[in-house]
Amino acid sequence: MAIQTPASFAVAKRNRVPLAQIDVRGGEVAKKLARIIPATADRTVRTSSFNSAL
Amino acid sequence: MTGPPVPFREIVLKVHSRCDLACDHCYIYEHADQSWLTRPKAISDEAISWTAQRLAEHVKSHALPSVSVILHGGEPLLAGPLRLRRVCAELTAAIQPLAELDLRIHTNGLQLSPRYLDLFDEYDVKVGISLDGDRSANDRHRRFADGRTSHPLVLKAVELLREDRYRHLYLGLLCTVDVANDPIAVYDALTELDPPRIDFLLPHATWDAPPVRPNGSPTVYADWLLTVFDRWDTLGRRVPVRLFESVLSTLAGGPSLTESLGLAPTDLVVVETDGALEQVDSLKSAYEGAAATGFDVFHHSFDEVAAHPGVKARQRELAGVSETCRQCPVVRSCGGGLYTHRYSEATDFDNTSVYCSDLEALIRGIERRVADELVPAALTEPSALLAEDQDLTRALLVSLHGELAGRGGTRWDRGWELTLALDAQGDPLDSLWRHPYTRTWLQDTHRALAGKRPDAVERALRLPSYLAAALVAAGSPTPVRTPYEEGVLRLPGLGELRMGEPSASGEAEVEATGDGFVVRAHGRTRQVRLTSTRRTEDDDWRPVRTLGGTQGVPLLRLDDLDPYRDCFAAPTADRLTSAEVERWNGLLSEAWALLRQFAAEEAAEAAGWLTTLTPLTSSPPGATETPAAPSLFGRSSTRERALRGHGYGALGIAPARNPEQLAVELLRGFRRAKLNALLEVGDLYAQDGWWRYPAPWRSEEVPVSELLAGVWERAGLAAFDPEGADQAKRGLATLERAAELTVSGHRLLAQLRRELATDPGPLPRQGSDGPGDGRPGQGGGSDGAARWAPLAPSPPHLRSQPQQSAPSTGCRASADSPGSVARNASCDG
Repeated sequence: MAIQTPASFAVAKRNRVPLAQIDVRGGEVAKKLARIIPATADRTVRTSSFNSAL
Repeated sequence: MTGPPVPFREIVLKVHSRCDLACDHCYIYEHADQSWLTRPKAISDEAISWTAQRLAEHVKSHALPSVSVILHGGEPLLAGPLRLRRVCAELTAAIQPLAELDLRIHTNGLQLSPRYLDLFDEYDVKVGISLDGDRSANDRHRRFADGRTSHPLVLKAVELLREDRYRHLYLGLLCTVDVANDPIAVYDALTELDPPRIDFLLPHATWDAPPVRPNGSPTVYADWLLTVFDRWDTLGRRVPVRLFESVLSTLAGGPSLTESLGLAPTDLVVVETDGALEQVDSLKSAYEGAAATGFDVFHHSFDEVAAHPGVKARQRELAGVSETCRQCPVVRSCGGGLYTHRYSEATDFDNTSVYCSDLEALIRGIERRVADELVPAALTEPSALLAEDQDLTRALLVSLHGELAGRGGTRWDRGWELTLALDAQGDPLDSLWRHPYTRTWLQDTHRALAGKRPDAVERALRLPSYLAAALVAAGSPTPVRTPYEEGVLRLPGLGELRMGEPSASGEAEVEATGDGFVVRAHGRTRQVRLTSTRRTEDDDWRPVRTLGGTQGVPLLRLDDLDPYRDCFAAPTADRLTSAEVERWNGLLSEAWALLRQFAAEEAAEAAGWLTTLTPLTSSPPGATETPAAPSLFGRSSTRERALRGHGYGALGIAPARNPEQLAVELLRGFRRAKLNALLEVGDLYAQDGWWRYPAPWRSEEVPVSELLAGVWERAGLAAFDPEGADQAKRGLATLERAAELTVSGHRLLAQLRRELATDPGPLPRQGSDGPGDGRPGQGGGSDGAARWAPLAPSPPHLRSQPQQSAPSTGCRASADSPGSVARNASCDG
């Protein structure tokens, strides 16, 4: 019943992370989501940028 | 300078103004400002209380989710454990109920003992330590007043901090660069101490007091740092180095991570031991009183300081750097350097950094070293783009689950558990991820939740419809309790089934069968067969029909049903008649044949990702030309548009007069869809809208997003639009100098250069080569009028006209006329 299964779709699946293991608050995924959905305010600490300290 | 002040998120609290070391490179004691001489040694109880109170007010009034307080000096440990306990206790009591409090201390480590660390453990105060490298490097500057070394004591402090009981407090090591030191030895000495992070600081200098350059080289600091970078890289980048990671971040389109680089507005304020509120204290290197504001915590709010001209001058982003910097391609990464390093008595801070040559060499050096690494596979591999796009849809669903936070009740939980179970099997949900409007539903629902719309949760509860459709498509006989609304049960990508009166709503059980599916509700069972690719409809069942599937045309859905398909710049068409579908099918066959002949690469690639065509209407004049998203300073107009997006795989196409026109519109659609997919999975540029550029097709200057989209689209259509190809070449030349482009953006330009260099040139005019030469236009359009011979002057539907105002760009980033697919076609189909 699948309408189209070109090889590219099979390739796309190859390295798929299971849904249960996707951490949407993790760096890369969160960054990608931020491009397409409104950012939600949370209490995540921002990295300090003060030059004279870490 | 106008605009609201940027709230402070970092507070540097000077708890002690003296130091037990006498480092000769210290900006507090050895540079221009000597105000430390008049400060109280330790911060007073009153100043502590007022600081906590002012900060709590500030956090509350700006609804800040978190705030960092850095305990600093002088040497902050000289304040003693009792005073530091009071500081921590008062700040925690005032802030923690309102926001996350991130407490840090930066010390030379000499006084560090379990007594302090137990206190820091109690209040979760993270500890950073200054160390300039190995013994000889550290001894170059970091000595006691009598010349004794401090190195062994610092190592002892680090050793204590690395003990299991305190390890969680270990923030890292801060190293000031001296190019006389061996960079490898310095780096190795630091990493031997296993720090969670490192940063390297350029020694403070100004144009009046320039940095030491032992060999006269203008890039000696860059050379030193790049040597460290190479060591860092060779050893696998095991320790985060803030300076390097900041450059890597900005090269990839992300934020800067340190105030010494990048264009981010300052969000930092200093509270001195006497309660004085000051600007960042590195300004003390510039001139006496450079950091002063005249405000203090006893009489003034943080907002008053935020509105101070000196603070606001550092919140002007691009407008806050010198004219030379504003024109520089690396300014997004260097940001003009640390503010202090720009100072000269003659021209104040309106200068490049005294480290300008070093910063440029450092950034370009890092870029050269990591260019390949920073370019995602999605940019060069179509299958990787598809994978990334589907991963984004999957992450959106996981994100929705998190955002609901239990509000979906048992109905959501049931659907979510089934989703996880099916996902673990691998294949059953494939069509869910491939369906482009799954993304639209997810984005719409996220927006509804974020906007606290009353029906937001109900929108989320449409999940089973998607699961059922996917299972039916996969032929997997797992029953799904599926909602129906307004008398219609919708199976996205498949069709919709009438369930009774238009007001009826409820749940039905949907289960795949060998040749279709059954629906069970209210004791009735209805069978729907999906045996034909054309999918005939009856009184109750309205299928999503298909096009193509023969003669090299990919089999595509003609989706005129999906409730989320209305995400294009032009309105979607209503349900097409069977005759209209047949006409679309005929046009598509001929159009695809033209594409295979004259845009073979694009057609082949599109066949790998295109799943869905959605018919649009040709709109009333002006109806689709809503104002373009304003280019907000510091905001990406592309991102604003993407909030109404869809997955990679759909095109919205208005009816075409003939195959030639449809072929061009498909090709234009391919280009737009690919660029938008690329923009959704990666950053091709950053700070869109900060600069404006002339675009050969517009009378007004445009932001980089629009210039890139315009060039990209025209390059794709170059073979059919010579005028547009020429515009693309000129636009590309402008883009080469754009500071907004990331490493990925530059890689895309390289691709455009190749495309435009191999532009086959205009196709022959119909008739000039005689009939039957296989060129476009020889196949005959359905209306017998137009021929595919877009020579100059281009046909009206292709010609690129200067425009007076920015047209709508709809939900997707696009060139100059994203609605043109609809606007430029007359509706006769």
